[in-house]
Amino acid sequence: MSTAQTAYLNGRVPDGPIAGKWEKCKNEMKLVSPSNKRKYDIIVVGTGLAGGAAAASLAELGYNVKSFCFQDSARRAHSIAAQGGINAAKNYQNDGDSVWRLFYDTVKGGDFRSREANVYRLAEVSANIIDQCVAQGVPFAREYGGVLANRTFGGALVSRTFYARGQTGQQLLLGAYSALMRQVHHGKVKLFTRREMLDLVVVDGVARGIVCRNLVNGQLESYAAHAVLLCTGGYGNAYYLATYAKGSNVTAAWRAYKRGAFFANPCYTQIHPTCIPVTGDYQSKLTLMSESLRNDGRVWVPLKKDDGRSPDQIPDGERDYYLERRYPTYGNMVARDVASRAAKERCDSGFGVGSGGQAVFLDFADAIKRDGEATIRAKYGNLFHMYQKITAENPYQAPMRIYPAMHYTMGGLWVDYYLQSTIPGMFVLGEANFSDHGSNRLGASALMQGLADGYFMAPYTVGDHLASRKLPAVTTDHPEFRRCIDETRTRVETMLKVNGRRSVDSFHRELGKLLWDYCGMARNAKGLETAIQKIRGLREEFWSNVRVLGSGNSLNQDLEHAGRVADFLEFGEVLARDALARNESCGGHFREEFQTPDNDTLRDDANFCHVAAWEYAGADKDPIRRVEPLEFKEVPLTQRSYK
Amino acid sequence: MSDKLNLTLKIWRQASPGAAGEFKSYKLYDISTDMSFLEMLDVLNEELIQKNDEPVAFDHDCREGICGMCNLMIDGQAHGPDLETTTCQLHMRRFRNGDTIVIEPWRARAFPVLKDLIVDRSAFDRIMQAGGFVSVNTGNAPDGNAILVDKDDADQAMDAATCIGCGACVAACKNASAMLFVAAKVSQYALLPQGRPERTARVQNMVAQMDQEGFGGCTNTNECEAACPAGISVSNIARLNREYLRATLTGAK
Amino acid sequence: MIQTIRAAGSFWLLRVFGSTIGRKLVMAVTGLGLCGFLIMHLAGNLLLYVGAEEYNHYADTLHAQAILLTIAEIGLLILFVGHIVLAFTTDRENSAARPVGYAMKQTKQPPSGMAAPASSIMMATGIVVLLFLLLHLADFRFSALGIRKHDGDDHFTKAVNILRDPLSAGVYIVGSLVLGYHVLHGFQSAFQTLGFNHPKYTPIIKFLSGLFAATVALGFGSFPLWAWAIQK
Repeated sequence: MSTAQTAYLNGRVPDGPIAGKWEKCKNEMKLVSPSNKRKYDIIVVGTGLAGGAAAASLAELGYNVKSFCFQDSARRAHSIAAQGGINAAKNYQNDGDSVWRLFYDTVKGGDFRSREANVYRLAEVSANIIDQCVAQGVPFAREYGGVLANRTFGGALVSRTFYARGQTGQQLLLGAYSALMRQVHHGKVKLFTRREMLDLVVVDGVARGIVCRNLVNGQLESYAAHAVLLCTGGYGNAYYLATYAKGSNVTAAWRAYKRGAFFANPCYTQIHPTCIPVTGDYQSKLTLMSESLRNDGRVWVPLKKDDGRSPDQIPDGERDYYLERRYPTYGNMVARDVASRAAKERCDSGFGVGSGGQAVFLDFADAIKRDGEATIRAKYGNLFHMYQKITAENPYQAPMRIYPAMHYTMGGLWVDYYLQSTIPGMFVLGEANFSDHGSNRLGASALMQGLADGYFMAPYTVGDHLASRKLPAVTTDHPEFRRCIDETRTRVETMLKVNGRRSVDSFHRELGKLLWDYCGMARNAKGLETAIQKIRGLREEFWSNVRVLGSGNSLNQDLEHAGRVADFLEFGEVLARDALARNESCGGHFREEFQTPDNDTLRDDANFCHVAAWEYAGADKDPIRRVEPLEFKEVPLTQRSYK
Repeated sequence: MSDKLNLTLKIWRQASPGAAGEFKSYKLYDISTDMSFLEMLDVLNEELIQKNDEPVAFDHDCREGICGMCNLMIDGQAHGPDLETTTCQLHMRRFRNGDTIVIEPWRARAFPVLKDLIVDRSAFDRIMQAGGFVSVNTGNAPDGNAILVDKDDADQAMDAATCIGCGACVAACKNASAMLFVAAKVSQYALLPQGRPERTARVQNMVAQMDQEGFGGCTNTNECEAACPAGISVSNIARLNREYLRATLTGAK
Repeated sequence: MIQTIRAAGSFWLLRVFGSTIGRKLVMAVTGLGLCGFLIMHLAGNLLLYVGAEEYNHYADTLHAQAILLTIAEIGLLILFVGHIVLAFTTDRENSAARPVGYAMKQTKQPPSGMAAPASSIMMATGIVVLLFLLLHLADFRFSALGIRKHDGDDHFTKAVNILRDPLSAGVYIVGSLVLGYHVLHGFQSAFQTLGFNHPKYTPIIKFLSGLFAATVALGFGSFPLWAWAIQK
């Protein structure tokens, strides 16, 4: 592999001024002639915003697309759960927004660890996304005059977030899904639901297909293509308790990593500040309360330690609105990592509320007094409803109790400016790649990135790959396909044969707790070293003591879970290694050894202003840390401040 | 705050699509009332695995009530007793100590059982393929504010668009009718200017596909509306009927 | 049969009759037509209360219009047959849509106060109404039940004699009440099926549906009681 021999990874960022890079790139990319497009097969794994949008857009262009998802329908991917909104530099509010400002906010929000050119491009196409979704019939919120409505969102001083009640992700995903269904109708997309990708097939150094398991009958299937797009989401479920869907996993990305794709910045994980706290050991997932709640809710804890009084008994003077106190400019609207760490700090210092003291209040009393309950209900009704469902408490009357939870992963498979991984022909889109959010993602940016990659990047760059490379005909009879199928089969059979004493879920929970304790909101070298040792031990135990019942030839959810956990157990170690190697704090990666006097992140730009991408070196070898230097020509490196 | 429950579960077990199934009884002890219904099933499965029994298969994913994957008939009610609530958002505080809970899969000709409580809902996807879209390619779109939408229409379209595609309407309807599902999508597009150019063909094609999948017809019993976790109103079915009538009387085909 | 219609569905009208919504539309239209007939029928019958002369005059005038009456009767027959045939075919299809039933089934709708909501037992009430209709036709239209038949009776006397018979009075009262229950759902349901659902008007329609059901049930149901009361 050529990149592995060079000292630095090359992001293939086009030359020229930042505002013209994408245009220049588009002009220079090779095109596939319309009559040739139908000769190319493209595999898209995942049907979230990135996958659904890419599959539909590529099919519209005339390619033959095969679309895969593990759920029973392409409408269920976890993009659907995004609540708050999607950013776009439309400046409809006349409040001074621009492509530049969205770019600037995103680079700053990412704590200067993203690739400037990618972020600028994202901001550039953000407006097109809104247009596209509106045209599809996405019912965005409207003003009385019929124009699109906006709301403000964390980490920004302008109002640029478009939304569909508290279900923006759902509506955008259903938009992409409808576009995808249209292409299925036209015969340009073939849909493969309840399929899980278990391997990537690389022929002569180029990604040419996948192996997947048919989750209904257990059969291993393989599919050949001229390009493979992984749109398989993030790896937050490594932490077990997360706001992810239960099925979200790292398997597709991890399998690709083991076939030669580099894994970038795995330690950049986002802990979302406003989630419903844990209630018991049985807890299977955590539920996010949209960040938009911080527009109207005020975060506070009692001034007195271990204050047992109910919140309505605590007068204003005895409350600590700690975000407003520490960050007067942004107040409750500071970036997510800042808000999360502040909550952890208060709780660790003994000011937490609720049973166990692992929560802070998010209070709407002032907003209800100011705007009336009806207004608050119209804005957040479904969120309040959900909160009440889960906690049996009425947030119109008592403040919500919230605590940070694992929510998003900025790290992912390394891609260049073309979203191509270190394996030619394999593209990575959406949360699965690492590219745009640096070490911390701003609210309402994930939807923007997924759709930008899917609608407006991949359709160009995949075409460039197809047009500029000679791709000999490859079918699933190729020996490499057979080898991959055999390896996958062996792995599945091995897992079923262990027949140990512990359930898959118990391993997953233990791994999650290790990562949360040692590699969560705050990390240190000693803890990370411990985590690495413990994860290794847990992994060994897994392969000798896991109990997976049932057969490989039928629908077997435990077996599906086992495969995912096995990969998390390998991946978790690399995550901890990455956190250990990055001797600085930035965004979501907070190393206790590196902090400012007031507990904010302290970057080390001299030594760590780079992307770290891990290369698989073999089963028993330590992975190799590769580096892509980051340059900040447009937004000068500064200490991020929300004061 | 939290209490403990002892429960008896009667769960439909079926090995594979064609296989004969049966109800099996399981006892569970010390279930916290703060658990969600699916967490209670997790506990059951953990116990089954310890006993070398195959765990119960059930569909679930987001566990926050939005993906539409979970689908259980609980004591004869789609998604259980709470209104506007998916199975994953149902909590055990809704049950009493000593309760026997009957858990079945969705039952409909168009939703064949795959295993235990898991059914195949791909019929919904095929209905969507028949016309649940606006024909606009990526890149075709005018500026978002070039299309003005009456706020009331936008709100009503949003009400319809919140359908999560779980199939509770079909499961609860005595005729296993998919009218509410189809109505929600047809309504969303009928209310928005973006959907108008294709409205005639859309309603005809979606209804034809719905019929072909083997769903029953609507007899206006409104059970779908009561069972819908997203609160989709049957007024959408009236709109679907209206769209269908309009398409039939004025459409060229 | 439905399958063959669908297969032959290239002609749009056949396609409509082959679709679930199309058939429901026909059910609604025929049902509303029959509701119209019920009103006319009831209005005519109420002349019983006015007096024998008026009633007989109305009946004679009606019967004098032989051609118009035949046309009306054929129209009615089409409405009835259409409504009934579609009821049976859709019912069979709807049952087929769930080949394996539930071990347990409960509604999630708020309690209606009735043992079975009118909407859920339309087939049952419909069958009772059909049997009642056949009996009624045999009695009045064809005078097939000879026991109460007296040659030379005028229309009024004939009606009163039939209504006065205890067995037939019971049948008429029960039939009228079940008919009322049938149209209680049927009337408003037809509007929903025809696409008429509006936050302003639907409550009015529901109210009218109740009023109409009560009028039908009490109106028709009152005749046997009246006939019994004027005996002596």
